[in-house]
Amino acid sequence: MSIKIQEIQDQALKKFDSAKTSKELYDFKVEFLGKSGAFTEIMKSMKDLSSDERPLFGKKVNEAKVVLEDAYIRKERDLKTKEINEKLASEWLDLTLPGPVQDKSTQHPISLVLNETVNILSRLGYSVRLGPLIEKDFYNFEALNIPKDHPAREMQDTFYVGENHVLRTHTSPIQIHTMEREKPPIRIIGPGAVFRVDSDVSHAPMFHQIEALYVDRKVSMADLKGTIAFMNRELFGSDTKTRFRPSFFPFTEPSAEFDCSCPFCSMKGCRMCGHSGWIELGGSGLVHPHVLKLSGIDPMEWQGLAFGFGIERMSVIKFGVDDIRLFCENDRRFLDQFPS
Amino acid sequence: MKISLKWLNDFIDIADFLAKPEALSEILTKSGLEVESIENKAKAFENVVVGSILEKGKHPDADRLTLCQVTTGKGVVHQIVCGAKNHNSGDNVVVALPGAILPGNFEIKKSKIRGVESSGMLCSEVELGIAENSDGIMILPKDAPIGKPFAEYMGYDDIVMEIKVTPNRSDCLSHYGLAREISCVTDRPLNSFVKDNLAKLQPAGDTQKKIKLEIKNPQSCPRYTGAFIDKIKIGPSPSWLKKRLESVGMKSISNVVDITNYVMMELGQPLHAFDYREIKGKQITVENSKNDEKFKTLDGTELTMNGTELMIRDGERAVALAGIVGGLNSGIKDDTSEVFIESAYFKPEVVRRTSRRHGIQTESGYRFTRAVDPDMVFTAMKRACQLIQDLAGGQVYGNAYDMYVEKIHQKSIVVTLNYVSDRLGYTVNPKKFVDWIQRLGCTISGKDGEYNVVPPLYRSDIQIADDLVEEYARLNGYDQIPESLPALADPPTQHDKKYTLGLQVNALLRGQGFQEAVNYNFVDSKYYQMVGPSDSFVEYGLNVTERPIKLLNPISEDMDIMRNLIAPSLLKNVIHNFNRGVESGRLFESGYVFYEELGQYIEPWHLGLALWGNDVDLWNKKNVPAVFQLKSKVENFLKGFGKSFSWDVPQKIPNFLHPGQTARLRFEGRAVGFIGTVHPVLVEEFKLRADTALAEFSLEKLLQGQPRVNRVKPLSKFPSVARDLAFVMPATMMAQSVVDEIQKTGKPLLDSVKAFDVFFGQPLKPSEKSVAFRLVYQDPSETLTEQKIAEINSKIVNSVCQKLGISVR
Repeated sequence: MSIKIQEIQDQALKKFDSAKTSKELYDFKVEFLGKSGAFTEIMKSMKDLSSDERPLFGKKVNEAKVVLEDAYIRKERDLKTKEINEKLASEWLDLTLPGPVQDKSTQHPISLVLNETVNILSRLGYSVRLGPLIEKDFYNFEALNIPKDHPAREMQDTFYVGENHVLRTHTSPIQIHTMEREKPPIRIIGPGAVFRVDSDVSHAPMFHQIEALYVDRKVSMADLKGTIAFMNRELFGSDTKTRFRPSFFPFTEPSAEFDCSCPFCSMKGCRMCGHSGWIELGGSGLVHPHVLKLSGIDPMEWQGLAFGFGIERMSVIKFGVDDIRLFCENDRRFLDQFPS
Repeated sequence: MKISLKWLNDFIDIADFLAKPEALSEILTKSGLEVESIENKAKAFENVVVGSILEKGKHPDADRLTLCQVTTGKGVVHQIVCGAKNHNSGDNVVVALPGAILPGNFEIKKSKIRGVESSGMLCSEVELGIAENSDGIMILPKDAPIGKPFAEYMGYDDIVMEIKVTPNRSDCLSHYGLAREISCVTDRPLNSFVKDNLAKLQPAGDTQKKIKLEIKNPQSCPRYTGAFIDKIKIGPSPSWLKKRLESVGMKSISNVVDITNYVMMELGQPLHAFDYREIKGKQITVENSKNDEKFKTLDGTELTMNGTELMIRDGERAVALAGIVGGLNSGIKDDTSEVFIESAYFKPEVVRRTSRRHGIQTESGYRFTRAVDPDMVFTAMKRACQLIQDLAGGQVYGNAYDMYVEKIHQKSIVVTLNYVSDRLGYTVNPKKFVDWIQRLGCTISGKDGEYNVVPPLYRSDIQIADDLVEEYARLNGYDQIPESLPALADPPTQHDKKYTLGLQVNALLRGQGFQEAVNYNFVDSKYYQMVGPSDSFVEYGLNVTERPIKLLNPISEDMDIMRNLIAPSLLKNVIHNFNRGVESGRLFESGYVFYEELGQYIEPWHLGLALWGNDVDLWNKKNVPAVFQLKSKVENFLKGFGKSFSWDVPQKIPNFLHPGQTARLRFEGRAVGFIGTVHPVLVEEFKLRADTALAEFSLEKLLQGQPRVNRVKPLSKFPSVARDLAFVMPATMMAQSVVDEIQKTGKPLLDSVKAFDVFFGQPLKPSEKSVAFRLVYQDPSETLTEQKIAEINSKIVNSVCQKLGISVR
């Protein structure tokens, strides 16, 4: 009987050894160790043995099974390794080839600067207000202390769509609408498109501005300078300096133009800053008492500061764009250079 | 405005700044007068000197060239090849030596011309940039000093600054005014130049006997002065005067006219000289125009008055448009010998109104509209008289007019030191404050930090305490203002909803692979006839009219109307890109469009989309039509807002879209816009080399009720079951009609339905197609049984086949 067991065991080991694939190996395993395999068959013959022989027989069978199980596991491991190596070799991909094309997404430089500025000023409590692009003469000029025939109107060549309606020449009308609608304290940002009859390499008939207005009980030039200095540091880096130069705007008094230290040359002087170390950014000032009064705010009780700049101009500085007309051509070779 | 430093030096000693103009520029810019450019004429002529031709010979290898030996003094001789024909031995000439940089950035170098060494160039007026044409090289007079720098010889050793004078600072629109400002800022004294010159006047006779003067309108003309001068010889101005006028960009005409211009640039007061012969009735009257009155200006333009203009008249007719321009009838001529010189104060608003109404801008009008100095009126008149006396041989008559009917006053301003400190954000020193305000020319009185300030008449812009705050701040230096951040005592408000939604729109579209575009909001009306609005858009839920808003003063013909769609602008961008070899792209623009309704201007918020071409792709060989690519991107975008939408095809198709490839979007039942392929005729017209699709939607309608939070549906514990159904239908039948029917019948177990295959060809008839749909069933409360699914499936099939007259494949 034990010879028979040995025979089967040898036979099985031989077959296991000859298996070419793990599937074949498994089939052999079933042939010998499966439910209706050779060992199950041989166990059936146990009933023909005497009760003395039975334990020994059982033991032998079990020993043989353990041997075969071991052999199976070893062989299976070998085959699996071999198979996986073959699979790996056959599945080699040239990963230097491109993946499927994904459509490119980019933000327009105007949005990049606009949103960045909004984010900066939002942290100081400012929130966005929008206004119409076709404005009444009153909101674009008169409420801003620019009466009809005032020489300051010549500073801005205006597009007219009707006798009393213009394409807004600045975002400042947003200030007026807000002061009419809301009670102070007011902290707002007014971004958007503006229009002027002007067109060359550095002027476009439509461009974008962003401006901020803060109205409270006590507002000073120091608050104005501090706020702009914060914005400039956030926009251009923490060591950026801010400079005020006296200027004139009909709707502010005092008025100041503001510059930032040139971020390209650290104020050593370069082409970007015209070798002055400073870059002109925008205009600012304390809201003129007449403007507050015209918007229904008592200048004896409330004061305001306002500042703004051209977004294209800021983009020119930030991204080094040399022709302002590129902003509205939507040439992909231009757009492709901006982040999403 | 251009300012000559040498001229400025007449009034204040600033000679030291000639060598370092940048220092003066910095001082001026810091005090609010931005110096835009510094022109150093001498610098442009470095290494350009006066020379003399010792010997003129022929170039050995070129018949047209001459070979000259030229000396520039001290025995130095240069060999120079010259191509001109008008020079001879012994001529004095202008020599540009190596190192000189002539206009046009033309650098002179030692070089070989046709094998012969040439170390310099003999220059013509054109090459020197001092004339527009010249015949040959410039030959200087015999007495020109050899070796002298050309700039010095020509008197070009001046520095001219271009200063941006803001509209409030009319007091700085002259050399004297600027000198006064520099005196204030630098504490250098003004000299007595003006007074000394006026002392040279030797009047004789009586002006008031030669001419009568009447001001009928003193509110418009508070002050009018004038003098009579005879024995004048009209001729060219002396060269120093010509040079000064030219240095500030004015043309020399004749001595008397030049003098009126000179005094304007010197003292800021515009003057006018009348030919006395032409003053009818020897009478000057200042009064308003008559309605419909005609007036011919100096340059011959005929104007029609409307009764609002202030005129200067003689006994019969108008002779000048007050403060703006003189009349053709009374101007200075070559044979004029007697003149009446006018110097007046015309109210700014009067001159502004007239200047604007007639669209005439003159140097004179420019100054009056910004207000001149009432105190300078008489002085300037006398200064002009003195110059005419000295330079044109005129005899000035005494007893000149000075009618100052309505005295102009400056109001006293009350200002406290606390107010100034509060506005500036730093404590103002009382002594410093008083000092600066006095240096400005104001009179100041009061104590304990409370003052009464009366500004000088030439500073009519200083009117309220805030103006004094600015004056003090700029004189004390804007760099003295500290930086502080105001406290945030009240909670911030929310952003305008359109801004926040706009950010969301942009982010979602970028997620779909679009690039953000920005276009001018004005467009070409001619282009709009091809690619533009029509009444068909109403059906698409877009309020677009055929009559867009016109600009009254467009900047150019191709930007003459306001857009009322965005897609046409994007199509222009596509064309622009194709023309530059960019054959694919996906653009979006969220922006405003414009129309007029009952006198109101409406600015709807739109979204425009364009998609053209495909990049070459290793993986995707299948060419999906542009319009379908765009559609799936749009659908993903819409899903970002979590609302239900559908597509259908209305009767009317916009003219620039393909009639068989256009659909309307319905969002929660409302029409909100279109999607479509560009019409093949336009594709050909614009030479588009790839399939191009456009879409436009009303963002206001799409975003109504947003932002909205969708509550999460519980996930079903039971599995969903998918079944596919294919129907054979006419080729032109829309799949959506089948989907609609399936959805109607499939409720409530049908979760979703979607077309996934379209088949044409055998064994179907050519007029047929087969569309396969995948239906997904889901019961939230139990596992669906096979029987239940079969039941609902057959119900759907029956209903679809019966209602639509099609069959299951």
